[in-house]
Amino acid sequence: MTHDDETERELRRAADLLYPVPDRLLPMAVAAFAWRTIDADLAELVFDSFAESAPVSVRGPDKPRLLTFRTDETIIELELETEGTTLRLVGRMAPAGRAEVEVRHRRGAVTVTADPLGRFAVGGLAPGSLSLRCRPAGAATAVVTDWVTA
Amino acid sequence: MYPDDAGVLVRSAADGDEAAWTTLVKRFSGLVWSVARAYGLGFADAEEVFQTTWLRLAEHVGRLREPDRVGAWLATTARHEAFKVIRARKYASPTDDLDKLDRGDEVTPETLLLNAEEASADAARARLVWSAFQQLPARCQELLRVLLATPPLPYVDVAAMFGIAVGSIGPTRGRCLNQLRALLAGSVPTGESGGLQGR
Repeated sequence: MTHDDETERELRRAADLLYPVPDRLLPMAVAAFAWRTIDADLAELVFDSFAESAPVSVRGPDKPRLLTFRTDETIIELELETEGTTLRLVGRMAPAGRAEVEVRHRRGAVTVTADPLGRFAVGGLAPGSLSLRCRPAGAATAVVTDWVTA
Repeated sequence: MYPDDAGVLVRSAADGDEAAWTTLVKRFSGLVWSVARAYGLGFADAEEVFQTTWLRLAEHVGRLREPDRVGAWLATTARHEAFKVIRARKYASPTDDLDKLDRGDEVTPETLLLNAEEASADAARARLVWSAFQQLPARCQELLRVLLATPPLPYVDVAAMFGIAVGSIGPTRGRCLNQLRALLAGSVPTGESGGLQGR
């Protein structure tokens, strides 16, 4: 065993001892499986203004976070803004039309209705993991977005 | 029991096998936590990154292009999430002093440990090692955190995460660990930089 391996092993021991994976996190990760949706299309995150790869012009401490999710047929655009200790979300779904929008987050879920232009808004959300499940009026399948840390 | 094959676990989980999912969680939680904690996020924010990463995998488990490389997928997802949270929470700068960024009102495992009556010589040594680690340059800390994960990520995945050449991981790891030893030996003044400079 080299010097480096020995040092690394000691560092790993220290990390495991001082900063182990908190016990309560494992059940959270196990429970994530139950959120899996098999009856909906997944709208993948294709743009995030807070991503490393986003152009500098759209990100900044005072700018709202912009997110775009899409499937082959649907585009969901979100704007996230901090309001004190909570978050406000404004969104638009295309193609436009009335839709039921369920905002899923760690305290549960809130359901709102998108107007005929596909617009919706929700305030007072707790920061944390967040995903949307949208069902356009009359549509057979819903669309769920990738989870993000809001 | 499942074979020692992450790809098999991923495919079984995609078919709805909860036991396979739980095995994935047990195997890769250490990696995800290590990456989530690598960027100077406070405890609560690191937890959110951890949670989002697993929720994300639950939706993607049947869609991974390379199921065998689920470890790399998880580490990369956690890393991207951590970066975004740093932006969202307006952290001044990624990683300088991990504990300074921890929320003051929270009881960290370290304080619990400190309070424990049986805080042993092992724990004292661990704190010493960790405090030396925290004096390393940020990039060293990030790289070592990822390398510490069990099971280890292949260097090619680590290289992709940090956007550096595979061939430079080994030497950089060596420099970082060397500096850590020097700090432990007390021969390097606090805050001296070195190791991973730039990319």
